[in-house]
Amino acid sequence: MMRRRAFQLGFLLACVGIVVPGFAQQGHPLTGTWNGDFGPSPTQRTQLTIVMTWDGKEAKGTINPGPDSAAAAVFLDVINWTVRIEADMKDQSGKPAHVVAEGKLEDIGNYHRTISGTWKQGATTGSFKLTRD
Amino acid sequence: MKYLKLEIMTVSALIALSAAVAMAQRAPSGNYESDKKVKLSGIVTRIDWVNPSAFFTVNVKDATGMISNWAIEIGNPLDLQRDGWKPTALHIGDTVNVEGIPARGPRRQAMATSVVLAKNGSKLFVPSNKPRAKAASQPVPRWPDGHPRLGPAPGKKGYWGTPSSTVLVENTGVAIPMNRDGLLTNITDSDKVAPFQPWAKALYEYRQRTLFKDDPYNRCMPPGGARHFQNPYGFQFIEQPEIGRILLLLGGGDRNWRIIYTDGRPIGHKDELVLTYYGTSVGKWEGDTLVVDTVGFNERFWFTNGGLPHTEALHLTERFTRSDLNTLRYQVTVDDPQAYTRPWTGGWTIQWVPDEEIQEYFCEENAETTFVR
Repeated sequence: MMRRRAFQLGFLLACVGIVVPGFAQQGHPLTGTWNGDFGPSPTQRTQLTIVMTWDGKEAKGTINPGPDSAAAAVFLDVINWTVRIEADMKDQSGKPAHVVAEGKLEDIGNYHRTISGTWKQGATTGSFKLTRD
Repeated sequence: MKYLKLEIMTVSALIALSAAVAMAQRAPSGNYESDKKVKLSGIVTRIDWVNPSAFFTVNVKDATGMISNWAIEIGNPLDLQRDGWKPTALHIGDTVNVEGIPARGPRRQAMATSVVLAKNGSKLFVPSNKPRAKAASQPVPRWPDGHPRLGPAPGKKGYWGTPSSTVLVENTGVAIPMNRDGLLTNITDSDKVAPFQPWAKALYEYRQRTLFKDDPYNRCMPPGGARHFQNPYGFQFIEQPEIGRILLLLGGGDRNWRIIYTDGRPIGHKDELVLTYYGTSVGKWEGDTLVVDTVGFNERFWFTNGGLPHTEALHLTERFTRSDLNTLRYQVTVDDPQAYTRPWTGGWTIQWVPDEEIQEYFCEENAETTFVR
């Protein structure tokens, strides 16, 4: 009986554990840390982290926070829930490359909402996907 | 009746929603398909007289003989008790005929609009629709220093409940049709609700269109901001002038509490505070009105029914005025420059419930039924 109750409790907590994070951040839908990757093909991917903020007038991003971070301008189209991210980064050879990423914000009520779309870095075009951390 | 009678019919959304509101106290819009109706007959197998909604389960047999177990929500047990109902009104093994609104998705669950005991045709769990007893009109009780008492007079008991409105809209005098959950009758009225920034309006409309499916309150998260004054389970002020604070004990939201400091401390800045559901509050008296400023809210809740967004920049200024023994006027000014184009104000009144205490309420009590089923 005790084990059954423990199992039920564990199951309940597991379910709640799954459910509760989905109901966490409820403010501006871009605010927070987003993790994912980008690349020209499914097998060529580069890890990507963007921290986005909203100050009441504009959204801003910091790509890959740390010594090699890049500031990004972020634009949200609230009619279509699309996002455009622009930044000046460096490519793998260290050369400057302008990045334009355009994607769709999905499941905006979920804490782990996503943005996915096209990623253009210099002359290279690929895809990206970000999930709110 | 041994055979399943299961019909799902499309009916007027308005009629169904009205029925839903009559039977339940938690936001039903996101959980139930208010434009559909289900009829069930079967045998009661379990009775859960728990918060926030009492349930019973019933085994329903279909035409092929297959039995399925349905959960039937019948309303908040405190409200049912107030209406004179007890869990013993129904017994395991009874056959019942149920009409209700089916839950969204694959769950075999419904919110009852009618429960009839098959053996004698008696209708169970019917709301009394009697207004709460109102205390006789009396002047505002006061402290020796002349300030109004926000709680009961010495030797008495009571609490604040029954808000005159359960939605927050800008006080412009324009009527905006919506239900008790804040669901607009016409989505194009969203501009009249509050001076939203474009993103906040888009998110508000998204929440409206998705029938509040992401509402944290429906997952037992605390009703921070102005929302705890909209819930039907009431609240109580505990004034402690000797230590410079007022405690707000909340009947809903898992019997949470809130502290309002009245010792003259500064309100602080959100960047220096731990962000919480109820924020950090300081209060002072302006004549007979307690004015409370609150900052330091997190973004993990909806600060009012209806899904109006806010950010960590939210600053609420609440004004509590006890105009007589029975009436508390609540006015709140919402200042969130990251979500709204300007500060705006709304409010309602709250009625004194004399000679009663806030009753026990724990949202998680039927988490098993709500989450796992």
